[in-house]
Amino acid sequence: MIVMRLKPIAEIREMVSRHRRVLLVGCNTCAAVSLAGGETEVETLVQTLRLASAQFGPATEFSGGMLQRQCEPEFVEKLDLEGFDAVLSLGCGAGVAFLSENEGIPIYPALDTLFIGAAKGLGSWQAECSACGKCVLGETAGICPTTRCAKGIMNGPCGGVKDGRCELGDRDCAWVQIYDRLEAQGRGDQFDGLGDTKDNSVNSMTCEWDMNPQAGGEK
Amino acid sequence: MMIAEGRYTDALQIILDRNPLPSVCGRICLRPCEDGCRRCNVDDPVAIASLKRAAADFGAYPNAHPDRPRPERIAVIGSGPTGLTVASDLAQRGFQVTIYEAKDRLGGMLRYGIPNYRLPDYALDKDIDHILALGIDVVTGVRIGTDVTLDTLLAEHTAVVVTVGLQGSRALPIPGADSEQVLSALPFLEAAACGEKIALGNNVVVVGGGNVAMDVARTARRMGAEHVDVVCLESEDEMPASDDEVHEARQEGVTLHCSWGPVEVAAAEDNVCGLDVKRCVSVFDVDKRFSPKFDEDEVRRFGADTVIFATGQFADVKDLGVELTPRGGVIAHPESCATSVPRVYAAGDVVTGPSRVVDAIAAGHRVAMCIVRDLTNDAHPLAALIEESNALGEVPQSMKSKLETRRRVQMEKLEFYEAVNTFDEIEVGYTEYEAAREAQRCLGCTTGARLTREKCASCLTCLRVCPHNAPGVKVGGFLYFDAETCHACGACVSQCPAQAISLEGHSDAEMMQRVERILYEPGFDTTLVFACGCTPNLPAIPGDDVRKITVTCLLRVAEATALKALQSGASRIALAGCVEANCRYPHARSLVAQRTAKIAATLHQLDMDKALIVPRESQEEDVHLR
Repeated sequence: MIVMRLKPIAEIREMVSRHRRVLLVGCNTCAAVSLAGGETEVETLVQTLRLASAQFGPATEFSGGMLQRQCEPEFVEKLDLEGFDAVLSLGCGAGVAFLSENEGIPIYPALDTLFIGAAKGLGSWQAECSACGKCVLGETAGICPTTRCAKGIMNGPCGGVKDGRCELGDRDCAWVQIYDRLEAQGRGDQFDGLGDTKDNSVNSMTCEWDMNPQAGGEK
Repeated sequence: MMIAEGRYTDALQIILDRNPLPSVCGRICLRPCEDGCRRCNVDDPVAIASLKRAAADFGAYPNAHPDRPRPERIAVIGSGPTGLTVASDLAQRGFQVTIYEAKDRLGGMLRYGIPNYRLPDYALDKDIDHILALGIDVVTGVRIGTDVTLDTLLAEHTAVVVTVGLQGSRALPIPGADSEQVLSALPFLEAAACGEKIALGNNVVVVGGGNVAMDVARTARRMGAEHVDVVCLESEDEMPASDDEVHEARQEGVTLHCSWGPVEVAAAEDNVCGLDVKRCVSVFDVDKRFSPKFDEDEVRRFGADTVIFATGQFADVKDLGVELTPRGGVIAHPESCATSVPRVYAAGDVVTGPSRVVDAIAAGHRVAMCIVRDLTNDAHPLAALIEESNALGEVPQSMKSKLETRRRVQMEKLEFYEAVNTFDEIEVGYTEYEAAREAQRCLGCTTGARLTREKCASCLTCLRVCPHNAPGVKVGGFLYFDAETCHACGACVSQCPAQAISLEGHSDAEMMQRVERILYEPGFDTTLVFACGCTPNLPAIPGDDVRKITVTCLLRVAEATALKALQSGASRIALAGCVEANCRYPHARSLVAQRTAKIAATLHQLDMDKALIVPRESQEEDVHLR
């Protein structure tokens, strides 16, 4: 799932300060599950912005709405922006971009999109995937070096590892973990085969994906 | 739950939807509902009746809003609990209802049979006034069958309902029973209810073992009798009187003599001098039929200046002209409530024999439903009133282990040595604080979490916050709530990002409305306190204008609700959490702390740190619970 979190209120207010009537749009899929862009969070942000507006101006009006997913044309079609001059999207970057593509008014992100991750517990997530386009998890025992390694290197561990911890101090070293798990799974010998150069062009060169090119027409 | 939040008027409205006599039932109901309270599995049942009374005492009765008037005219004969219920139900549906009452005032046995120390007139009048406000006509002092015939009524009304109850007192056919100082229970109680003084002498013997006998004995004590002996056929275990009544009668100095059968009222010079009795060996035969056996050798005499028979009542409706049972009750079809005379219905004790007030109310709902069905072919809303609801099973062990035992809050009563000198109400009633404390014992069964599936994002937040594991996941990722386990703390409601969960009587939208309502009147430098119901006293809050919203748990205050208050006119908000030792949701503490921190962080971002007060825990020492 895509994990997001709310931007600082000051940053959000700055973005929409020139607008008169702003619609906050939540997204009932990843953003809701991230506890960042569900109906509750939309309502809370509406109240927060109204309060800020009443206290400090400018006199912007804020309302709230929901979409099941901001990244689907059929759902986005349902959005009624009559009377609004801007949208604050509580969706991921894809939602903001897709709304911008389909609507004629400015769409601003209220959230920062962090990563593709998994839930550790209530309100806590762990980054698992960076959508690099060339998955190597099969060889790395299910631990993504691009995501979990601070440097994103393919031939770790680097010299910054100490007692299994990354020199950044905020995480375990992904490469030590990869080694340990491969060992535990009885395939420690495969570790030596890792470290080949990764083709990062897949990520930068894939801007669209259509599984039925003949049906969808030549791009 | 409403009472735990101090919302007496809302609570009263919910009660009135099913029971038109909350002030009455709150005082004298025999409380069969409490046996069904699931708190029984934990400690004592919730004091449902006493809380009903608190709702009636502190809540405002809503204004009457009957349906659009209908042309049909209905006569209700008798104004006891059945008659009042059917009149209320039908008037609410728009029918033109007239109550015919033989006595001067309405209420039937509630007024003339139940002594004032249990049900004072003002308490009864509260309920009756609310019912009559529906636009019901009242004709008192008219006895149907003698003063006015049933046919006359039928000519003027579309339907007639007979709810006259049991007005005759059964006397025992023993020698001396017709002496002057031998009284019957009902006329005696009626005289007492009307404030008449009856010369009883010092020694009174009451015959009977039911609640009426206890009422008679205790009333006799209040009328000045020094020695009151209650003599009954049954053994103490078999006595029909409720344990509470027997206990209180004894406290008031009434002496109970069980297993004696009256033989003769002994007279001396035109005056009663005693009751002769013989030992009763058994009351019922092997088939549980009434068939008393006596030991003729063991006899004794209870000295008495007055003997009062409280040995049962009978229906006194010979003059009515409807078909009767051999015992004198009205024959009415159990399903349709119809009698032998077309358009005449009957219900309540006159049909079933003696029953409890709640049974009488249920009978009233049933006959009202039958009449509405017969006259309009649509009895839908009333039919719901007589349906039995599905009971939940026992409180599961997993939940029990997370509940703190908390004994029932005892209601203050007059001391018995005081009570016995007056007809003042014995039970004083809960204070608002006591009512809230008692209501907090409610486990909230069936008011628990409900899911709007269309909105659910399957985020599993509810599953993660629930301390009782009430939510579960079905195949396909669909969430569901187990009603047996949920006890309505509201943790999931305010955490659900999709606003897909609500509780009975609580949702974020309702909280917003409560905030708007309480801040409707503009104020200066207003502080709105969200107080946990467990918090007995508000901590010191700055400002002159302090308003309070009580919630069963601060978890019910969503972040948006708190921010809304600041926008709606409050200069600051205070989140007064509860004292841990008394918290009904001990698990909520850390979640509330998280919520509070989030609100503080948001306000900090807005440079409004001073708009939030989180008082230190309030002190419990000065609170005295009786």
